[in-house]
Amino acid sequence: MQSPTTPLTGADRRRSRTPAGLAAATLAVLLGAVAVPAQAAPAEPPVSNDTVQAETTTAGLAERPFMGWTSWTMQSSKYPGLNPDGDYSYLTEANVLKQADALAAKLKPYGYEYVNIDAGWWRDNAWVPKFDQHARQTPDPVRFPRGMKPVADHIHAKGLKAGIYLPVGLEKEAYANGAAPIWNAPGCTTADIVYPDLRTTNGWDSAYKLNFDNPCAQKYIDSQAQMFADWGYDFLKLDGVGPGSFKSGDNYNNVADVAAWQKAIATAGRPIHLELSWSLDINHAADWKRYSNGWRIDTDVECYCNTLVSWENSVDDRFDDAPAWSRKAGPGGWNDLDSLNVGNGEMDGLTRAERQSYATLWAISKSPLYTGDDLTRLDDYGLSLLTNREVIAIDQNGAAPARPVTPVGDQQVWGSKNPDGSYTVALFNLGDAPASVTAHWASFGFTGTASVRDVWNSRNLGTQKDRITSTLPAHGSRLFTVRPGTALVSTSYEAEAATNTLSGNASVGGCDACSGGQKVGNLYLGGKVQFNDVRVKKDGIYTVTVAYVSGDPRSVTVSSNSGNGTSLKFPSTGDWGTAETVSVQLALKAGANTITFDSGTWYSPDIDRIDVPQSL
Amino acid sequence: MDFRKTESRAIRPSRRGFLTLAAATGAATALGGLPAFAASAAPRRPTESPLLAADAAAKNQLWWQAPGSANSMIEQGLPVGNGRLGALASNDPARELLMITDATLWTGGRNDTLDSDGQFPYGRDDFGSLTMLATLTVDIPGHDLGTVDNYRRTLDLAQGLVTTTYDIAGVSYQRQVFASRPDDVIVVHFSQQGRGAYTGTVTLAGTHGEATTADRVGRYASFGASFANGLRYGAAVTAYSGTGKIAVNGTSISFTGCRDLTVVLSGGTNYAPDAAAGFRDPSLAPERLARDKVLAAARESARDLLHTHVADFRPVFEQFAIDLGASSAAQRELDTWGRTQARWRDNVPDPELEAAYLQFGRYLMISGSRGSLPIGLQGAWLDGNDPDWMGDYHSDVNIQMSYWLADRAGLSDTFDAFADYCVAQLPVWTEVTQRLFNTSTNRFRNSSGRIAGWAVAYSTNPYGGSGWWWHPSGNAWLCQNLFEHYEYTQDRAYLAKVYPVIKGAVEFWETRLVTTTVTDASGASREVLVADRDWSAEHGPQDTRGNTYSQELVWNLFENYRTATEVLGRDAGYARTIDDLRKRLYLPEVSPTTGWLQEWMSPDNLGETTHRHLSPLIGLFPGDRIRPDASTSKEIIDGATALLTARGMNSFGWANAWRSLCWARLKDAEKAYQLIVNNLRPSTGGSNGTAMNLFDIYETNPGRGIFQIDANLGTPSAIVEMLVYSRPGHVELLPALPAAWAAAGSVTGVGVRGGFTVDLSWRDGTVTQVRLTSVGGRSTTLVVGGTARPITLEPGESVTLRDL
Repeated sequence: MQSPTTPLTGADRRRSRTPAGLAAATLAVLLGAVAVPAQAAPAEPPVSNDTVQAETTTAGLAERPFMGWTSWTMQSSKYPGLNPDGDYSYLTEANVLKQADALAAKLKPYGYEYVNIDAGWWRDNAWVPKFDQHARQTPDPVRFPRGMKPVADHIHAKGLKAGIYLPVGLEKEAYANGAAPIWNAPGCTTADIVYPDLRTTNGWDSAYKLNFDNPCAQKYIDSQAQMFADWGYDFLKLDGVGPGSFKSGDNYNNVADVAAWQKAIATAGRPIHLELSWSLDINHAADWKRYSNGWRIDTDVECYCNTLVSWENSVDDRFDDAPAWSRKAGPGGWNDLDSLNVGNGEMDGLTRAERQSYATLWAISKSPLYTGDDLTRLDDYGLSLLTNREVIAIDQNGAAPARPVTPVGDQQVWGSKNPDGSYTVALFNLGDAPASVTAHWASFGFTGTASVRDVWNSRNLGTQKDRITSTLPAHGSRLFTVRPGTALVSTSYEAEAATNTLSGNASVGGCDACSGGQKVGNLYLGGKVQFNDVRVKKDGIYTVTVAYVSGDPRSVTVSSNSGNGTSLKFPSTGDWGTAETVSVQLALKAGANTITFDSGTWYSPDIDRIDVPQSL
Repeated sequence: MDFRKTESRAIRPSRRGFLTLAAATGAATALGGLPAFAASAAPRRPTESPLLAADAAAKNQLWWQAPGSANSMIEQGLPVGNGRLGALASNDPARELLMITDATLWTGGRNDTLDSDGQFPYGRDDFGSLTMLATLTVDIPGHDLGTVDNYRRTLDLAQGLVTTTYDIAGVSYQRQVFASRPDDVIVVHFSQQGRGAYTGTVTLAGTHGEATTADRVGRYASFGASFANGLRYGAAVTAYSGTGKIAVNGTSISFTGCRDLTVVLSGGTNYAPDAAAGFRDPSLAPERLARDKVLAAARESARDLLHTHVADFRPVFEQFAIDLGASSAAQRELDTWGRTQARWRDNVPDPELEAAYLQFGRYLMISGSRGSLPIGLQGAWLDGNDPDWMGDYHSDVNIQMSYWLADRAGLSDTFDAFADYCVAQLPVWTEVTQRLFNTSTNRFRNSSGRIAGWAVAYSTNPYGGSGWWWHPSGNAWLCQNLFEHYEYTQDRAYLAKVYPVIKGAVEFWETRLVTTTVTDASGASREVLVADRDWSAEHGPQDTRGNTYSQELVWNLFENYRTATEVLGRDAGYARTIDDLRKRLYLPEVSPTTGWLQEWMSPDNLGETTHRHLSPLIGLFPGDRIRPDASTSKEIIDGATALLTARGMNSFGWANAWRSLCWARLKDAEKAYQLIVNNLRPSTGGSNGTAMNLFDIYETNPGRGIFQIDANLGTPSAIVEMLVYSRPGHVELLPALPAAWAAAGSVTGVGVRGGFTVDLSWRDGTVTQVRLTSVGGRSTTLVVGGTARPITLEPGESVTLRDL
């Protein structure tokens, strides 16, 4: 959940997607929220500092990306009939259990197990929240007339797991003039757990920031965790977490909140998967990995429109944003690309090609696979996408996420090495017209013939020499498993070599992650590096692999000899201390050649090295 | 030197291949003929397959690994055309889409009420616009691109055939699209190898809101309607198969379980190239005629339709061949679009691609200029009903450039559409000019107050109508093309046909020239004749006299007129009068200020230095009064070179083509070649350059590109001009051969002014063999490597020279 109380500012990189009706509801919530703060009541003396050290990981959880269903996608949609009692009113016990039953019947055999209740379980249809006397969220009796525990019990009875949701911080409406006593924390009230100036936090500024200098704050988190454990929940999505959620700065740094949650869960007596949302700051990836089981790397995938999602708003964002995170995920914590809504073409608002590409990117990125579709209305194609065992196996194989092995234009090739030595290779056409896309084996470091399986079409395509080309529809994809041929032999040329020609501001700098410990940086506004004397034995078009460092996606014009070159965007390497590679196609002639990286009129990646195959 | 004459042969040996094949197939009908949608006798079918073997065909095939998008057909659709009916095909397995245009489907009319400024209205209702005829879709829902392997589509330039192949689950599917001139239909034939079958729907839709109806018994669908201007039009489609079920379903035709399927479409209008009849054939019912044509064609097998088409198309294509050298294996592995991109990226010459680009231009000419109206700004390939500049005929370089290719590249017969157009329009052009040109508000009117002959505006339509501003020099430029066709063919009957057009332009200029006094460098003054107040074609001031553009064109017109009267034995006295005027014409000088050949009678640069038009260089190309030899002063050559240099190397496609032609005339091979390379630059986001389907893209505004065909036809002319330069009495081989093509190459069927064709081969930049054939010419001088040789031949005779 993200939208209900998200102020849309010009700084948000997310385009405004909130229809007028939703904006009105949002405004009402905000007005209610700012109408508060009375002076905090004088606090009782705080309880003594709890020195229990939290586990740094929650053993056994998220060994693989979780799979399941979320309520938010249908809650957020204007699709006719989904939210008859106002925005987000889809969330009810009846609907959750209906979906749980459908999940159990149709998807459980394939590994889907979590049924996740999202925002609003403690809010009425006018979005007014309810809290217990201890400032803890309490179920809305209209949505969940029997409370939350019977819901979890039903889910468990189906052999599934139950998920629940909270925003980070102390929701303003729970403050109760600072007087609400914290459960199981004698002497602590809500006044003790926040800052005296009632500074706000989270992606919507809908909560007061918790002050963990006061041990009462941890107690409050403990009380919430214990409540969920007692109800039988197995999963918690903590939302609006910063840095992230379009917020930065001290007030929005919720690392301590997340750590407190991990600590609380460890003592609550029930394993609970902790998932963070949304658009988490990649600079804190180590924190998220340390304290949680997964993190949303991007804004909501939902379109808040008449369908569940749309390609441009915002499925296609993930192709730009996932590469930076490719080295951040692994067993215990995964990059969460948000819900996978490919089960019903008409409701999803996507073409078949888009649905397949969506599922492909999620699987190769090792994203959690949770759908927000109406599981009672899956169409045949949607069911086939959600239940392709080979695709699920790619998602669940425990290896690192795939990343682009080519520059990221309209046509892209992504890949990763699988634990069994094969490669996952995905071709994407993000353009609006059909296009062919070629994966060169050299991009993966091998050459010659390789056997290829078309995963989605369940067809073995036999052996393919040096490359495979497929014709993809607009926004289409292909997913292959490739068993490699022989290793490619290349010659490396370091960017920092004294024989190269640097122009403009380009300069050699240190780089621990780079071969030779150096790279060429400051490639901006005309700066360029020209590799001289790149030698090959035969004329031809070569797959040249470029090692580079770029903390954000940047373009560079790559050319050989007198060529005009091509402006190519290199995907982010995640930070300025990590080197990655992409490969480019360039004509080289027998003998000596030059290869040039020219920043032109903007800023380009730092270049570490190029690897040139010794033969074609 | 090996000097060998061969025996006389039939006149018009440029049709030699055509005659050979056509004789075998019986499909030999005169090209040209009635430029109308008309009933025609059933074509005779070839008894033997005229299809090329796969390896022979490969040389002239373009290929792509992706279908076109329905949203980008002008850049991604593959063109077919039968000379009048054109189509762009998407080749998407699940949805074949054809956007179909009939070259005569024009709104508008005579447009002879001037605006208050004395100029013509230029709107889609008054002047009119070329519009699309129909879309044809063949939906095959089971063939989603996401399930397809080994997709490939090929444009076979030599056989006029688009072929799409792909595999689904072990079945190989193939479809062929072609536009047949003999059957006057467009055919889409679906076949497969394996256990495949086709199930889907054929839908014909008009583009102006027409209602399509389907006939259950006849299993065809059709529509018919008329424009406000009274033009009637219609189209029809039918489908047939040896297996499965074909049925009418609503207004569509459904097919189920068909192992093969043939879809046949025809359509047209009741346009007639006859001013006296108001450009209509009242007896013609286009919808009924289209239906009759598709039902007649559907009685033939798809194979016979294909063979009939190829037997008609291939001989025309084969009148010319070109080899600019071998490309690399790496280049050959790429599809045409990948190759185009690599050519720009790597700046490694790709001689096969460059030759194919030329042949693509010839392909468009054959497909778009036979038996109907000439090629306008887009030919018969539209993707909507609002083409920029109406898809019209532009008389200030565009239509002229398109037709520069015809005779140069072995397609003399495709010139007829242009010539017949001018002849048919002449009565209206003449009437409107004489009634309206001297309107007092027309700032370009004749100061003399006299008027004679005819003129046109910058735009013309097929109803005798002009659009936008008067273009007084346009008549002379159109006549330059008309006369050069005679120079190439030495066809007197043709010259007699166009003589009234040329004479009318001469008469116009006789009333338009005014006298003025100029002072020579020596200080001597003399009286000269100059063109009245005018504009140097879209450039600079609009009220200058004696613009180089006009002076050169009128000089050329008058000289050609003299020759025409001599050839035809007519109007000798008047010819002398005109030639006296010619001798008094002011001719351009070099500016002491800029060093450029002057565009205006001023030493100052009154316009944009890098302007797209090369109007002041019209005497260098297409004219050849300015020659880099002893006949032209070095000062003039230097001035022309300096001006051309100043105009730059990066402009719109047609402007680059013109620059290339000029550099070829100046024998600067590398500059001429670089401009061809610049036109091959892949267009992205509407930028100037080449689209996926090789259509030239003209960037009208940043981010918005449109198709303009003139560069597709003008750039090939430049390639030919780099290999052969000719004027009557003079043929020069390899005047501007760039290093990229120097290693080895050959070209056959190049037209030569003076009535010849030439075939030549070269190696290491040197001509190794040349064969000159007379198509009517008797003597010329052959210049090879600086050595001149007089040649004398009888019509039909050839001479071959080796070891030069």
